[in-house]
Amino acid sequence: MAISLDKMNQPQDVVYEQFEDLGQQQETYVLGMWAFLVTEVMFFGIMFLAYTIYRWKYQPYFYALHQELDWKIGGLNTFILLMSSFSVALAVHFHQRKMKMPVLLCLGFTNLCALAFLVIKLLFEYIPKWNKGHYPGPGFSWDSTYIPANIAQLWYSLYFGTTGLHALHVVIGIILFSVLMFLIAKDHPIISDYLPTEMLGLYWHFVDLVWIFLYPLYYLMPK
Amino acid sequence: MSGIPPTEHVETEEKNYLQEGHTIASWLLTKDHKRIAVLYLISVSFFFFIGSIAAMLIRLELTSPRGTLITSETYNKAFTAHGVVMIFFFLIVAIPAVFGNFLIPLMIGARDLAFPRLNLLSWYFYMAGGMMFLVAMMTGGVDTGWTFYTPMSSIYSNGQVTLTLVAAFITGFSSIFTGINFIATIHKMRAPGMTWWRLPLYVWSHYATSVIIILGTPVIAITLLLVVFERVAKIGIFSPELGGDPVLFQHMFWFYSHPAVYIMVLPGMGVISELMGCFSRNKVFGYQFVAMSSMGIAALGFVVWGHHMFVSSQSMYQGIVFSFLSFLVAIPSAIKVFNWSLTMYKGSVWLASPMIYALGFIGLFTVGGLTGLYLASAGTDVHVTGTYFVVAHFHYVMVGGTLLAFLGALHFWWPKMFGRMYPEGVAKWNAMLVFVGFNLTFLPQFVVGYLGMPRRYHYYYFAPEFQVYHVMSTLGASVLAVSLLVPGAYLTWSLKNGPKAPANPWGAKGLEWEAAASPPIKHNFAGIPVVMGDVYDYDAEAEELAYRGLPPREESK
Amino acid sequence: MSEHVHAHEHSHHITPFGTLMATFIKLAILMAATIAWAFFAPQILGNTPISSVINNLVALGIACVKAWLVIQIFMGVKFQSNVVKTYAILGFVWMTLMFTMFADYGTRQWEPVQGWTPGDTQQALPRADQPYEEAIPPRSKINIPEGKH
Repeated sequence: MAISLDKMNQPQDVVYEQFEDLGQQQETYVLGMWAFLVTEVMFFGIMFLAYTIYRWKYQPYFYALHQELDWKIGGLNTFILLMSSFSVALAVHFHQRKMKMPVLLCLGFTNLCALAFLVIKLLFEYIPKWNKGHYPGPGFSWDSTYIPANIAQLWYSLYFGTTGLHALHVVIGIILFSVLMFLIAKDHPIISDYLPTEMLGLYWHFVDLVWIFLYPLYYLMPK
Repeated sequence: MSGIPPTEHVETEEKNYLQEGHTIASWLLTKDHKRIAVLYLISVSFFFFIGSIAAMLIRLELTSPRGTLITSETYNKAFTAHGVVMIFFFLIVAIPAVFGNFLIPLMIGARDLAFPRLNLLSWYFYMAGGMMFLVAMMTGGVDTGWTFYTPMSSIYSNGQVTLTLVAAFITGFSSIFTGINFIATIHKMRAPGMTWWRLPLYVWSHYATSVIIILGTPVIAITLLLVVFERVAKIGIFSPELGGDPVLFQHMFWFYSHPAVYIMVLPGMGVISELMGCFSRNKVFGYQFVAMSSMGIAALGFVVWGHHMFVSSQSMYQGIVFSFLSFLVAIPSAIKVFNWSLTMYKGSVWLASPMIYALGFIGLFTVGGLTGLYLASAGTDVHVTGTYFVVAHFHYVMVGGTLLAFLGALHFWWPKMFGRMYPEGVAKWNAMLVFVGFNLTFLPQFVVGYLGMPRRYHYYYFAPEFQVYHVMSTLGASVLAVSLLVPGAYLTWSLKNGPKAPANPWGAKGLEWEAAASPPIKHNFAGIPVVMGDVYDYDAEAEELAYRGLPPREESK
Repeated sequence: MSEHVHAHEHSHHITPFGTLMATFIKLAILMAATIAWAFFAPQILGNTPISSVINNLVALGIACVKAWLVIQIFMGVKFQSNVVKTYAILGFVWMTLMFTMFADYGTRQWEPVQGWTPGDTQQALPRADQPYEEAIPPRSKINIPEGKH
C-alpha cells in the first residue's frame, strides 16, 4: 500500500448509477445530510427541553449548582471546538481545490482538537466529579446544607446526560475522521470527490453548534 | 401519465430484478431497492404473525370473565408484546419500507433510491431491533404496555424492559434512514417532466410521512434512552424522587407517538388514493387538496399530543388547547375521505379485490376517525379513557386503515413485484371476509368500552354481562385470523403457479405500470422516462362505454 | 458504476479562505462576549424581576448569532439551494414546537386542584394536611450564598 502525499490522485469525479449527473448527486448528498442533521437537532432538542423545564422549576438551586462547573475549562473547550470547526471548514475548502496535503493536515488538526476536548473533559471534569461522588445514581454523595441532594442529582443527571451525549458525538466524529483521513491518504476510490469531507464537516459543525448552546447554558448560566 | 415516448416502451431481453442473482448473498447484500423491499416484506410478515399470536392469546383469555387461561403477568406480557410488535415492527414499517421502497423510484422515474447502502443498512437495523425484542420476549418479556410509562418502566417493572427499549431505539434508526432516503429521493431524483404537481399522491403521502419520521423519531429515541439510563444508571430525568416529573415522559413520548399514528396511516392513505384513481378509472378528485392535506396532517399531527394525556396530571388549560387542536386534524382527514368518495362519482368502478380493500378502508377509517372526535373532546374522553372504546377506536384506524391498505397494496402491486397473478375470485371473497371479521371483532369493543370495560384488564368478573361482547370479539378475531392466513396461502401459491402477469394488468396509469416491465428490470426502466402528461390521466367515460359494449362517443368539436 | 465525466460544469461554491478566517475571528470575539456578559450582566442589570429574562435573552441571543454564522458560512447553507435552506431551518423551528409543553407547566399553578408546580422542591404533590402555600417555598425565600457551598 503506497501512500503518496503530493496530489489528489483520484479518478474522474464518479457519478453513482442511480444519479444522472454530478450536480444532482452532490445536491442529493448535501440534502440527505441536512435531513439527518434535522434528526440530530431534535435529538438534542429533548435534552434542552428537559433542561429548560427543570431549570425553570429549580432556578435558584440550579444557579448555585452551576458554580460547580469551571467556566475556564468550559471556555477552553469551547475555543478548541471552535478551532476544530474552522479547520474542518478549511479541509472542505482545500478538498474542493484538490490539495491533498492541506486536507490531511486540516483533518489531522481537527482530530487532535477533538481528542484534546475529550481529554480535558475527562481529566478536569468527569473524573474529579466522579471522585467526589457527584454523579447521579446510588453512589451519589452530597453534603451541602443549602441545596437538597435530590435536586443536585437531577442537575447532575442533566449535566451528564447532555454533555455525555455530546461527548458520544465527539467520539463518533474522531472515529469517522480517522477513517476518512486513512481513505484520503490511500486515494481510495470511494473518495471520488470532496463530498465525504463536506458531509463529515457538516456533522462536525453541528457538534460545535450544540456546544455553542451548551456552554452558556451550563457553564455560564444566567442568573 | 400519457405521453411517454413510445421508444421507452421497447421490451428488452434484460433479466428482471428477481433473476439478477440467486444466491443468498445476492439478497442479503443487495443494494437494489426492490430486493430490499422484498426482504422487508418477508420480515414484516413474520413480525405480523408474531403480533397476531399475541393478539389471539389476549382474545382467548378474555372469553372468560374470570381469567382462567393465563396469569395476569402473562397477560400483561402478551398485550405488551402485541403492542410493541404491531406498532414498532409492523405498522410503522409495513407500507413505507415495503411498498415505499419498491415503488417510489418506480413512480418518480429513478433508477434507485438516493442512498442504496443506507437503505440496506436500515433493513439490518430493523432486523437487529426485531431480533433483540424477540430475545427480550423469550427471556422474560415486558409488562409495561407499549407506552413504557414511567415510573413503571424506569423503577418498578421487572421484565426485560431495558432490552426492549434498546430494541425500539435501534428500530427507530431504521425508520430515520428510510425517511432520509425518501426525502432526498423525492426532492432530487424525479424524472424530467415529473413536477411536484404530477407526483402520484402515493409519493406525496410518503413525503409527508418521511418528514414526520425525521422530525419525530429522534425524540422517542432519546426519550427511551433516558429511561434506559434511568433504569441502569439511576439518572433521574423522570424520577419523582429526585424532583423530576414522570409526566414529562408522557409529553416526550406522545410528541413522537401521536405523529407516529400518522406515520402509520398516511402511507395507507397514499395507497388508497392510487387504488381509487385506478379502479374508478377517474382522476382523483381534488388532487392538490389531497396532496396538501397529507402535508397538513403531518404538520398538525405534531401539535395534538396532549389529547393522550387528558387524565394525566397535565394542566387542564393545556388540555383545552389540545382538545381544540385535535379537532382540527379532522379537517384534512375529512378532505381525503370526501375526495376519495367523489373520485368514484361518475367513474367506471371496477370491484377488483384491491378496490374492495380500499372501500373497506374508507368505511372503517371514517368510523375510526369519527370516534376519534369523541376522544378529542376532553369531557367525553374522561369518561372513556382507558376503556375498550379507545382500543376499538385506534384499531379501526390502525387495522381498518393501515392493515387494509397494506393488503390492498399487496394485491394491487403483487403482479408488479413478482410478475404473477393471484386467483382473483378467492381474493375478492377473502377481502369481504376481512371486512366482516374485522367489524365483528371491534364493533362490540366500542359498546363494551362505553359500558365501562377497562383496557389491559385480564378478567372482568365484576361485570360478567360483558362476556357476550368479548365472545363476539373473539369470534370475529378468529374469522379475521383465518382471512389473513388465506392471502398468505394463495399469494405464495401464485409465486410458482399463478399465470404470468402482463406489464399493466389493471390498465392503470403511472410510470411503474406504463414504463416498467413486470417484474421490473434491475434499473427499473430501459432509459429514464420523460413525463409529459398529468397524473391519473384516466378516461372514465370511454372506459364505461367500452365496458357496456357501446361505441366510443364522437368527438363533438 | 457509470463513470461519465460531468458534462456541465455544475461547479460547487468554494468558500474563500478569507471568509472562513473572518468568520472564525467573529466567532472568537462572540465567544469572548458570551463570557464577558456572564460576568458583567449582574452588575449592569441589577436585581429586578425582568433582569433575569434580559440576561437569558442576551446570552442566548449571542449563541444564536454564533450558530447563525456557523450554519451560514462554515456549513455553507448561504450558498446552497432553497431546499437545503429549508431543511437547515426546519429542525430548529420544530424543536421550538416542543417548548409548547410550557403551556402545561406554566399553567399548572392555576389549576383548581394543585399539582406539580414550579418551586415545589420537596414532593411531586403537596400533602393533603399541608396548606398549599407552605408546601412550596416561593422563589424569593430560597437563599443560597454565592460561591462554593
